[in-house]
Amino acid sequence: MSRVNVVISSLITLLPLTAVLFLLREAVGTDVWSLVQDETWRASLAVTLYVTLVSTFLSLVIGTICARMVYVNGRTWLSFWLNWPLFVPHIASAYLFYLLFSGGFPGFGLIASNERHHLVVILTYVWKEVPFVFLMMLGSYAQLNRGYRDMAKTLQLSPWQQFSVAEWPFLIKPLLDSFWILVAFISFAYEVPALLGVTFPKLLGVLAYDRLTTGLFLNESEAYAVALIWALILFAGVLLSYALTAKRRRRIERGVRR
Amino acid sequence: MKRILFLIVLLLPFIGLFSSMPAPLVFDEAVANTIVHVFVLAGLNVWLALGTAWWLLFTESRWRPFVEWFLFLPLFVPALASTFGMYVALVRFGLVGTQFGVLTVLLAVTLPYSIRIAYNAMYVIGRPLFEQALFLPPVRRVQFVLVPLLTETVRTIALMSTVVVLGQFVLVQLIGAGLVPTVTTRLYHVYAGNDVSLALQNTWLLVLIPALLYGGIGYLMRIWMKVMKGRLR
Repeated sequence: MSRVNVVISSLITLLPLTAVLFLLREAVGTDVWSLVQDETWRASLAVTLYVTLVSTFLSLVIGTICARMVYVNGRTWLSFWLNWPLFVPHIASAYLFYLLFSGGFPGFGLIASNERHHLVVILTYVWKEVPFVFLMMLGSYAQLNRGYRDMAKTLQLSPWQQFSVAEWPFLIKPLLDSFWILVAFISFAYEVPALLGVTFPKLLGVLAYDRLTTGLFLNESEAYAVALIWALILFAGVLLSYALTAKRRRRIERGVRR
Repeated sequence: MKRILFLIVLLLPFIGLFSSMPAPLVFDEAVANTIVHVFVLAGLNVWLALGTAWWLLFTESRWRPFVEWFLFLPLFVPALASTFGMYVALVRFGLVGTQFGVLTVLLAVTLPYSIRIAYNAMYVIGRPLFEQALFLPPVRRVQFVLVPLLTETVRTIALMSTVVVLGQFVLVQLIGAGLVPTVTTRLYHVYAGNDVSLALQNTWLLVLIPALLYGGIGYLMRIWMKVMKGRLR
């Protein structure tokens, strides 16, 4: 039965991958240089990088700390409560944050929805992605050999050294996976930044969708070209980061320390 | 004290749900479509992800590393970018504006996450436990070993796929060409307006559907295990 599942899953997976080829076909003829020189796209790229990197970094750090607190400090109550944001779809969480920071509640005027620093967009993503990272890291901590930590403690290493020697090497792969999944998800999304962002500069996903759908699809090749270029940049980043860490990851998977 | 502070920060956004009285629920085409999408996709995701993860972990094949890499690759492609491409592809086959087209694309977006969850869960449970199950006939293997071991995984896959499906506005709007209304597509237009009670009605629905599904699956699994334990005695 599992072979049938693999065949069907592979066929389904083929769809988003061949979609990239269709993007290539549709983007043919687009003047990429004029896209690079377009002030709107450049501003959009800058704000996208800022929102994506800050949200991803915070989510990874907080999610990892929470997973560590469950496994190392025995704070199991975190597992129950961190499930709650998982029940809320991104679009609904964007609206909840919009209500929270749009002045509806007293004392929340410090950070506001639809402002140019995109703080509410970042907060929404962090609130939604921390539980995801937590789940990913929890699995990694479950497989971690506690003997390494005990050894580090016996050698009287500082808490930071204990983490860097006995835990960090085993967290590189899941953190790298989570990093790229989050970057791919946040950097080219529509719902959250469209609801909580500003009209200029828009995030890449919002600008691309707006350019695609306004004016009876007259600017569609531009949107397809941006989607394609962004997908290829991310793909190159994934390949590069995995290639650079391959040797170290293989050594850890084999359990050999040289 | 730290725990209380953490819980306040974590649960604060939910206050918005109680900021106004939600409008009464009307069971229309959008709600019906959403429920159909959720059940079909949760079922397909669970079935395909468990079988695929099983093959990836426990089958000896020289194709395994390639298939594994291939199946997880869409996780690193932005969903909106692949939606644009799938829109171009499906237009050629006349699938834009159809339920089948929307369901296929939603499955393509959710399946890699589900396979990943199933793969991680099976990896953590470990090969020896699953290998013992191979001595049992297929039906009893599922009844007595796989269902009890994978209860939490099934619930998580159903939850994650449901939440991703419910969060897709652009995908449903683009592939459905406005002809497949869902709570999410209706909701986005309501959010852009000023009707808070109608927006809250839709938001409550989006939060309750995954929660009820998660609780429902957990309840069914508990009954299942009670029955199975009774049979084993």
